[in-house]
Amino acid sequence: MTQEQEYGKMIPEPVPETAYFWEKVREHELWIQKCTDCDHVFHYPRFHCPKCTSSNLDWFQASGKGTLYTYMINHRPAPGFQDEAPYAIAVVQLEEGPRMMTNIVGIENTPENLVLDMALEVTFDDVLPDVTIPKWKPA
Amino acid sequence: MESALKDKYSIVGIGETDYTRGSGRSTRALAIEAIRNAVTDAGLKMQDIDGMLSYHGGDSVNSSTLAYDMGAQLNFYMDCSGGGSSTEALIGLAIGAIEAGMCETVAIFRSMNGYSQVRIGGTGSRASTPVSGPGLMTRPYGLASAVQSFAFSFTRHMMEYGVTSEDLARVKVAHSNHASNNPKALMKQRVTVDDVVNSRWIVRPCAHLLDCCLETDNATCIIVTSAERAKDLKQQPVYIRAVQGRGTKPGGDFHYQHGPISRVAGHYVGPRIFDLADLSHDDIDVTGCYDAFTYTVVLQFEAYGFCKEGEGKDYIKSGIVNLGDKRPNNTSGGHLCEAYTHGMNMVIENTRQLRGIVDDYCPDWQNGNHTYDYSEGGCRQVRNVNTTMNMGWASPATGSALILRR
Repeated sequence: MTQEQEYGKMIPEPVPETAYFWEKVREHELWIQKCTDCDHVFHYPRFHCPKCTSSNLDWFQASGKGTLYTYMINHRPAPGFQDEAPYAIAVVQLEEGPRMMTNIVGIENTPENLVLDMALEVTFDDVLPDVTIPKWKPA
Repeated sequence: MESALKDKYSIVGIGETDYTRGSGRSTRALAIEAIRNAVTDAGLKMQDIDGMLSYHGGDSVNSSTLAYDMGAQLNFYMDCSGGGSSTEALIGLAIGAIEAGMCETVAIFRSMNGYSQVRIGGTGSRASTPVSGPGLMTRPYGLASAVQSFAFSFTRHMMEYGVTSEDLARVKVAHSNHASNNPKALMKQRVTVDDVVNSRWIVRPCAHLLDCCLETDNATCIIVTSAERAKDLKQQPVYIRAVQGRGTKPGGDFHYQHGPISRVAGHYVGPRIFDLADLSHDDIDVTGCYDAFTYTVVLQFEAYGFCKEGEGKDYIKSGIVNLGDKRPNNTSGGHLCEAYTHGMNMVIENTRQLRGIVDDYCPDWQNGNHTYDYSEGGCRQVRNVNTTMNMGWASPATGSALILRR
């Protein structure tokens, strides 16, 4: 059995728009984009600003600080997640403005533990030798 | 702005197959049966259909294939990719096609073996599949199905407004009471709040098993033509007062990125549909609100302004949505109890309500004679229905609306 088969979950396969994001995640850094024309900060990565459609974009390193915007606890696991159910999928409100989807680690995923707007910080899970996934934990 | 086309087009035929879990037939065979039933209902022949519209999610069958089976020569057809909220939108497109002179009579259909073949969110990709595109930001975290991706909107709503599982269960209870008077319904059993909250969790805190709709094998069909032509057909015409959508939230792809997350597309579709119809909420006698899950109903009543933001739970609790009360919702039982059809059964039901010949357990329903006794196994015809509204839902970010009149 290959390592990928053993991991069993869906693996991000970077596309041109997202390659830099995943490259930085491999280095355990969270980088997001900003439009240099209208200053809009956004995520997920694109080749144009979703506010003004400008192609003049910069990448910058996010603080890795955020809050728990919303979540749901999944009792019907996706392939590869069978051993973890019930597990939470959450949306984090980044300090810089955008929101991103994630898993919450470091605490049991119960409604009692998952208090909306609680402080979170990013952490990096090296799930395979060449695949890292950003996750969030209580700050 | 008031629509220049209001009441100029009609729904003249409605039809569906049996609602089953195991049709034993192709989507092609299902579609033909639903279309034939709608054509018969309208008093038309298959060859009278010269326009077709359908929506699908990679399942279903093409209009051009069905045209062979129908012996029809089409002047217009389109098969669109789309799920919930497509029914309403395609009714609008049918009007557009006829208005443009492209065709005269349009059959809109949806055909799906939604239980025995393509289960939405249930069939899933195999493990360790590389994933790209926007899914890149969701799938590695174990997001797979609609009940999960829509739930982000509702968890926050629940916390902000103090909504409980019991509040949601009341949606199911109402729709199950209605379904108990619907011989076609897949789930006719009336359920209680306890039944719902004691069923197993699917997505916590938003949905127990009984908060979810019923995966169903079925096909459904609606026939649209001009009000002028409708006068010569078999049924009392039902007039299309206004249609709006599919409309989106700003930046609809990842709805959780934009604005208050619990603000859904109906917030944007709602004011437009009432303007187009030149009507207000008080004019609506019956609603059909897309109930993929009990929480979609709560969010939509708020978004469309039938109650204030945060008061969807109170709107349900007041009983207004029950048969016998002021503005019943999903009188067929909807997706939660009649069948999951991707939206069309709720437009079909409202058409029946407007005709006054709902197919309930009243002995002489075919002639429009109803008992108005809404107890189990009884009537589901609403008294004096003049105007109905459908609220279609594709996701928190996309929706459509339709207002019909008699």
